[in-house]
This record gives sequence, structure tokens and C-alpha cells, in this order.
Amino acid sequence: MSFSARQIAPNILLWALAALFLFPVLWFLLSSFKPGSELFTWPLRLFPQDWTLSGYQTAWTRFDFQTYFLNTAIVAVVSTVFTVFVSACTGFALAKYRNRLVQIFFLLILVTTMLPTEVIMPSTFAVILGLGLYNSLAGIIIPSIITATGIFMFRQFFLTVPDELLQAARIDGAGEFRIFFRLMLPIARPIIAVLAIFSFQWRWNDYIWPLLVLNDQKKYTLQIALRSIVGAENIDWAVLLGASVISLIPMVLLFLVFRRQIMNSDISSGLKD
Amino acid sequence: MHSLNRRTLLAAGLAATAAPALAACGGGSSASPDAPVQFMLSGDANQGGGYAAMAEKYLEETGIQIEIVDVPYDDLQTKVRNASKANDLPAIGRMPSIDPVWLDRTVDLSEVAAEVKPIEGMYARDEEGKVPALPSDLTAVGMFLNKDLWDEAGVEYPTSFDDNVWTWDEFIESANSVREANGIRFSLVMDRSSHRLNSFLYQNGSEGLRLNEDLSQYEANDATVEALERFVAMNDDEVMPRSVWLTEEDPNAMFKTGQIAAYYSGSWQIADFVANIADFEWVSVPMPAQPDQATNFGAAAQIVVFEGTGQEQQALDFVKWLYSPENYAEISRISGFLPATEGVEVSYEDRQEDFDLYNAAIAASPAFVGEIKSRDLALQAAGTAAPLSGDPVRDEAVKAIAGDISAADAVTAALEQLNESLA
Repeated sequence: MSFSARQIAPNILLWALAALFLFPVLWFLLSSFKPGSELFTWPLRLFPQDWTLSGYQTAWTRFDFQTYFLNTAIVAVVSTVFTVFVSACTGFALAKYRNRLVQIFFLLILVTTMLPTEVIMPSTFAVILGLGLYNSLAGIIIPSIITATGIFMFRQFFLTVPDELLQAARIDGAGEFRIFFRLMLPIARPIIAVLAIFSFQWRWNDYIWPLLVLNDQKKYTLQIALRSIVGAENIDWAVLLGASVISLIPMVLLFLVFRRQIMNSDISSGLKD
Repeated sequence: MHSLNRRTLLAAGLAATAAPALAACGGGSSASPDAPVQFMLSGDANQGGGYAAMAEKYLEETGIQIEIVDVPYDDLQTKVRNASKANDLPAIGRMPSIDPVWLDRTVDLSEVAAEVKPIEGMYARDEEGKVPALPSDLTAVGMFLNKDLWDEAGVEYPTSFDDNVWTWDEFIESANSVREANGIRFSLVMDRSSHRLNSFLYQNGSEGLRLNEDLSQYEANDATVEALERFVAMNDDEVMPRSVWLTEEDPNAMFKTGQIAAYYSGSWQIADFVANIADFEWVSVPMPAQPDQATNFGAAAQIVVFEGTGQEQQALDFVKWLYSPENYAEISRISGFLPATEGVEVSYEDRQEDFDLYNAAIAASPAFVGEIKSRDLALQAAGTAAPLSGDPVRDEAVKAIAGDISAADAVTAALEQLNESLA
């Protein structure tokens, strides 16, 4: 088998680009195995002289990772389940029930994408307070359930599903709920996967909203806990590196399991949560 | 076309209302006197866990639980402001400064102050004599040298205030010869902060940009512009790298590379250096004086007790207990604090001589430094100044270093912004 020059050049270029992307991650990973005294040695070394897990150990003992993992997992999983379900219902209704009010409603939902999350934060905070959800995980989950992006994704998808399919089901005597659960949801599986992955990522990495809503350390999510390693004047780099690697593990696992869907989902990236 | 029938609508409505109700379980704030007493602070775990250790000791002695809530430093103010709005303030806070948002929700600590005797000027009273906050501990500006480099170059340096303390000219000359002898990058790095810059100004005959006596105006004496000019001139990418002030390069990391002869920072670095510098020896030395010996010292944070938590008495008891000489010496030892109360002797685990040097520097500082601090605190306690966006002294100095404006213009502009906040 022989390679022509036309194949070799792009291949080299792609490998070089891949290496460029990999390099910071590799540096980050290797640094997490260095003791604090080696992080800033001159000249810089890629590999640790003295391999150590002390950063990980301190991070694990100093911070209650189990609690933070559990809290973050609850928030990410519960809000993802609700987000997917609510978006699917709403998207279905907006695509398949033609009614002037429904169309206006859809317009209103779309308009909300114009407002950055930060702008509506004070009013959302007031609502959360009024509902007595301050300092509870529910206070993070509920405001994040409804995303215009998710609704829009489902609506656009259901528009492509021919109306004849629904009419056939109705003639066969299926009710609206049955149509939705048995017919529509199964064909929307790719969209469900994409939105679920997005939503999980968003919630896992959420920072500012949990910070505002949560007051009790036992309810902290991972990102707030990580942030507290950065002190007023000093940063404990060794601990921060160890803790960051630990916090990445679930996302890496998620990627490995859902690799195919995630690669497909990137086509629709650039959407906001 | 299909229209929604009534049954479908009803079911959908039910589902929609049930979802949030299900998720709403749990939550709500608790403030019963038996609940643990919340103590909100930042960075305790990073500073050796002193407050956590004291809370544990308190639990053993009294059976009362103090719950330490460690919040990221940058968000501590935001967090407490929001908690104040939500009527969910912690019982105790260790705050970077006094905030007008919650100032009138603090408990008067004058009784505790009379008992624990914080260092004069490190706490303030308002017009009615109320003491809203006590200093948690002190920090002071100081200088570190890379001892190996200085020894290698054979350049002498003072080690105590009894020696003939050097002037800035002498120091720069010595540091430059260390740089040249070792072939390293820079002679000096200084944190990008007005706190450190002020200390430099004090040592050069200026009194910084300070409040006048009746707190109505900020002023700068005649030596200020010249002192700032000197600082700007030092940022020449030889003596000092411009990248620290202009693009926020981390001076702590730069010093750790061993490519820097001296680092102008402060007492809080000692613990970090003990743990994270293994490649070379380092020392704390007296800072240069031209002609004035001074360090910029002050309260690292303010301890406040909040009102309306139903736990004011428990909180006060704990604060009193915390400041008792024995306990205060213990937390100072664990966390590497410079004590903020009079007559407390601390024996530190590491580098006692460095801490002693800082305490000597504080004692040797001229009276106006303490005066500046107490006026700043009095202004905070009065709660009349508008909050500043950013740090005028630092931000204008950065413009001067970038060459956009002259040092004189920088001082004028910073004064203008500071005075605007008083108007």
C-alpha cells in the first residue's frame, strides 16, 4: 500500500493539530503528579522528577468530595431528566398543535434566548426566595429545567416528523399521550441524547447560580468547592491540580460512554443553555 | 388540525404543577438557637485549617457546634450580601471589609473589644460608639530574598532592624549585581496591588493617598508623585518585569522559578514558601527605607457577628472564647497569623525568625500607617462612602507603567476617583 503526497501532508497537519490540542491537557495531567515545589522550577520540565500523589491526597482529605460529587450528580441528573422531558413535551406541542396562541407562546420562548442568564438572575433569585427554595438543591434544579434551546431543538425535530404518522395513529385509536410516549419519544431518541448530554454538561459545570443559591457547605456542588481552593493572596496549585483532575473524571467517563452521540451533537454546538 | 381536548389539557396541567412540587422537597433556612452556629469565611482550609481546629476544640469544651462555611474569596462579599437580602445571614463572618449593605445588621462588639484589646487603629467605632467588627489577624508587607543567589554572588544584605537597613538605591544596586552575577532574569518582583505599592510609597517619604482627619477628602503629600515616578521607572523589564503589573503575571510563581533575586510581598507567603520551595533557600529581610522605615500592615479580615440570626449570644460567646490569649495564640500558630491583639506571644511551627521580623517591622512603622488604617476603618464603619469599582491607585499606576499617563497624572486621577466615592 502506498501513500501519495496528497494524503501525507493533510495527515501530518492533522496529527500536528491534534498534538497541539493534547499538549496543555498532558501538561495539566503530568503537573498534577508533581509536588508543589516542582511546579515552577526553571527550566520547565514536562515530566515530574519526583512522582507524587500528595496533591490528590490533600485534595481528597481536605475537601469532602463524596458530598460534592453526590450533590453535583443529583443536580445534573435530576435537572437533565426534567429538562429532556419538559422540552420534549413542549417541543411536541409547539410543532404539532397549530393554534395561534401556541405560536405566540413559541415566540415568547424564543425571545427569552435574547436575555443572557445573568440579566434575569436577580429576578430569578427573588422568585427562588419567595418559594422558599433558597439554600436547597431544588433551587438550582428548577430554574434550569426550562431551556429555550431544548424546546427549540425538539420543536424543529418534530416539525420534520410527517403529520400523516400522527393521523394514522389517531385513526388506530391511540390517545394523545400514547402517541407522544410510544411514537414520538422513540423517534426523537437522537435529540434526547444530544440534549441530555448538553444539559448534563451545563449543570455539571454550573458555577454562579449554585454559588448564589447555596449557603450550606454540605449542599455545595463541585465547582464551588473547587473555587474555594483559590485563596485571597495565594493559590495552592498542587491541591488545585489534584482536585481539578478528580472533578474531571465523571465528565471523561461520560464522554467515553456516549462518545458517538457527543461527536454528533457538536454539529449543533454554539447553542446557549 | 387537531385541537386539544379538555382531558388532555387537564392532565398536562397536573403534570406541570407536580414536577416542581416534587423537586421542592427540602430546603429553607433554619435559625433555631440549637442549630449549629454558622461561621462564614474564606480560605481556612488553605491556611492550615485554624478556624476548623478551633471549632472542634470549642465543641469539645462546650458542646456547642460551630459550623465553618468556607466560601471562595472572590465571592464572599456577594454571597453575604445575598444572604443578607434573603434574611439568612450566618451567625459570624470573617469578612474582607465592612460592607454598607449589612453594616446596620451587625452586633456591637465594643464589650468584646474592651476585653481582648485589639491593636489600636485596627478597629473602629461609629458615631454612637458601636464597634461593628474586630480584626481577625494582621498581615504586613515584607521582602523575601532568594538566599542562594545572593550568597552565590557574594552580596551582603541586612537581616534585622539593628543592622544598618538599606535604602532603595542600595537595595536596587545590590539586587542588580546579584542578577548580573547569576545571569538570572529580574532583580525584583512586586505583587500587583495597591497595598504593596502603598508600602513602597511610605518608604519613599510619601504617606500614600490618605484620608484627611475629618474623613472628607483624600490627599497626597508632595513626595508622592516622585515616589510613584521611582516605582514606574523600576518597571523597565530589567529591574522589574512589566508583565506583572501590566498583564497580571503571577509574581509568586516567578519567584519560585529561582529567576528572581527579591520578592516584595507579605507575611502570608511564608506558609506557602515553606511547603512549596525546595530548590533554593529563602530569607525574609527588612525592606529598604528611603528614608523612612515602614511597612503597610493592617487587619487581614474583619470578624463580625450578625444580628437577627437568633444565635447572637452563642456567636458572641464563641468570639470572646476565640480571642482569649491562649486560644488566639493557638489559632495564630496553626494558621500562621500575625496577632491582632496586644500582648499575645505566638510560637510558630516554622520560621519563627521570619514572623519575628514582621512583628518588628510593624512595631518600627511610623504612626501615620496606623492612623491611615483607623481612618479607613472609621469610614467603613460610618458606611457613607460609595463602593469603588476597582482599585484607583493600582489601576492608575498600571496606566503610568504602560506609559499612557505620567506619574503626576496618575496620582491626580486616583485622588479624583477616591474623592468622588466620598461625595
